[in-house]
Amino acid sequence: MNDDAQQKKGLTRRNFLKSAGGVAAVAGMAAGGLAAGVREGSAAAGSMPKKWDGTYDVVIIGSGFAGLAAAMEAKNAGASAVVIEKMAVHGGNSIINGGDFCAPGTRLQKEAGVQDSPDLMYNDMMKAGLYLNHPELARTLADQAKDALEWCENYVGAKFTRLNFHGGHSVKRANQTVNASGSELVNKMLAKTRALGVAVQTRTKMERMIADKDGRIVGIEVKTGYRFPDEKSGKTAYIKARKAVILTSGGFSNDVPLRRIEDPRLTEKFESTNQPGATGEALLAACLAGAMDVQMDWIQLGPWTSPDEKGFGNVPLFCERLVGYGPMIDPAKGKRFFKETGNRKERADAIILLGHPVIIMGDSYAVPKQVFPRALEKGLESGAVKKFDSLEALAKNYAMPVEAFKQEIARWNSFVEKKKDSDFDCMIFPDARPTVTPPFYAARLWPKVHHTMGGLVIDTNAQVFGFDLKPLKGLYAAGEVTGGVHGAVRLGGVAMADCVVFGRIAGKNAAKETAWG
Amino acid sequence: MTGKHNIMRLPAAWFIVLGLVFAALLIYVGTPMAAPKQVKSAKPGDCAACHGQEKVFSPSHVDTKAMTYKDCLGCHEKAGPQKLEGKLPGSHIHQLGGITCVKCHESGQKEEEVAMDKCVVCHNADKLAEKTAKVKPENPHTSPHYGTTLDCNLCHHQHKKSENFCAQCHKYDFVVP
Repeated sequence: MNDDAQQKKGLTRRNFLKSAGGVAAVAGMAAGGLAAGVREGSAAAGSMPKKWDGTYDVVIIGSGFAGLAAAMEAKNAGASAVVIEKMAVHGGNSIINGGDFCAPGTRLQKEAGVQDSPDLMYNDMMKAGLYLNHPELARTLADQAKDALEWCENYVGAKFTRLNFHGGHSVKRANQTVNASGSELVNKMLAKTRALGVAVQTRTKMERMIADKDGRIVGIEVKTGYRFPDEKSGKTAYIKARKAVILTSGGFSNDVPLRRIEDPRLTEKFESTNQPGATGEALLAACLAGAMDVQMDWIQLGPWTSPDEKGFGNVPLFCERLVGYGPMIDPAKGKRFFKETGNRKERADAIILLGHPVIIMGDSYAVPKQVFPRALEKGLESGAVKKFDSLEALAKNYAMPVEAFKQEIARWNSFVEKKKDSDFDCMIFPDARPTVTPPFYAARLWPKVHHTMGGLVIDTNAQVFGFDLKPLKGLYAAGEVTGGVHGAVRLGGVAMADCVVFGRIAGKNAAKETAWG
Repeated sequence: MTGKHNIMRLPAAWFIVLGLVFAALLIYVGTPMAAPKQVKSAKPGDCAACHGQEKVFSPSHVDTKAMTYKDCLGCHEKAGPQKLEGKLPGSHIHQLGGITCVKCHESGQKEEEVAMDKCVVCHNADKLAEKTAKVKPENPHTSPHYGTTLDCNLCHHQHKKSENFCAQCHKYDFVVP
């Protein structure tokens, strides 16, 4: 062991907080303009309360896929549990997600004749993640995703009815919910969680984690009756966690000050696809209690969002169903510029490099076949998706050089015929046909902040690790608040799998902890 | 710049006159900043019982003291240009319709939050969704996310201006009563 490592090992959680490192970290946050009320006051784990207002074996923070999966497993393992949610509504980002759950070897894949395996999914995740993924976490996800999906179908009762493709995967492996929304799963999870007797308390915000003298997490301080984003709202209360706290509070895509510290390009000029509560104060509260963070500056932009609608919108559901069936065009030149089926990072970077929105398009063979009818209808209604009688009309609308564009479509069509793209190596699906049938549909694309790959360090048991590189007793985490699972890039459809796999692991293991008091 | 200079040259007496006019206005309309009293025993149409001397109507408005919501509808037709929804706080429409404070706040304490269960006794969530099915661009009373379970209070505030909860993620320009 070298000196550095020895020093780290010798650094306890409490020492760290007292040390210059801790002070510098906090000072850095202040200097970064963290004036937001969410960071007011000290969130450091500190004094024990005189009395606890509620006591449970397991206390879960966040009511998305990960939190509810953890709650059900903890309860089913015999623990008493409660779920707290800072927002007025349950579900966080899970309830606005697109409903795609990636898993290898599923029923829908078999029906479609798709050959897949956990190894192939693992390799896709690692490749897209630039091999920065913590391999054992990616492995756990790939190995357990199928079982997690089946649990969602058979135990929770959610319906998955369609198989989709997402950029960066080598096969179609996204199992889509019946309503193309995460709400199908998260609402059924909520109903099941409540039926098991676990309360889900909204408008309850964790303010800080509470540790005993040995640094073990023993409970949390909350504000009940909290009204996001009013930091003066709510009343202080203390919830005791006899066995463990599970943090499933999601990512920080909507936390402009924090994301600017991690990636200074991501100013308020970039919109986010996330719900407004996707901020990082719970993650930081865990760090202040000694939890270690990793890869926080890998922040994902979705390359399929539209500047012509708010938030996530309908265009991602239009765009992602068309890649591999229709071309993506740079309107300035009327030409393709990148591999349509590339992963999110590659594509977002390519668009940002051009510096202006691009076009995704399809014809009347591909669009009705591929795009969820409601997404198409709503996109057309809002004007984010447009319909054209001819290629000339489409080119004219986006001020494209018409001849160059028509030549490029002819070239694309020749690739589709051969099922091989000699320009950018786009994956062309067996059932893809040349883009020739009017009317044509198109939408503009400009990236939005979508997912924060970094977060708390966990092991394959969903146990959080501290800055002393040892398990932080009493704290588990799952879902987007954790880091390392996806490395540099989270592939489409893998977040649902991540949340359910590690949420379940966290719930089971938290219930197995020995109660401290 | 010239405007600024002109003001600078105004005699001090003008400021005193302006000040007096402003003070007189304040006295006339009551104290605009002060919240109304929320007198539980107030008759629905008796605005002055809570608002005191605060000017809540144009001078030409008819006396409302003995009125109920039904009487209001004589002029303020529902869905007409003079409609009260969206203009008058929800609590007032409730009050005028005979739904007094204690019918929602059982203890009579205004701090006591009213749960959605109370609202749906009269406003059935599924029926509401049917009623607004044709509202564009989306039906405000159901969604792929929450179905018809979203808490009424997220949009329809009773004692402050209502808000459009959907607008935090969507470009829906609903007018929320």
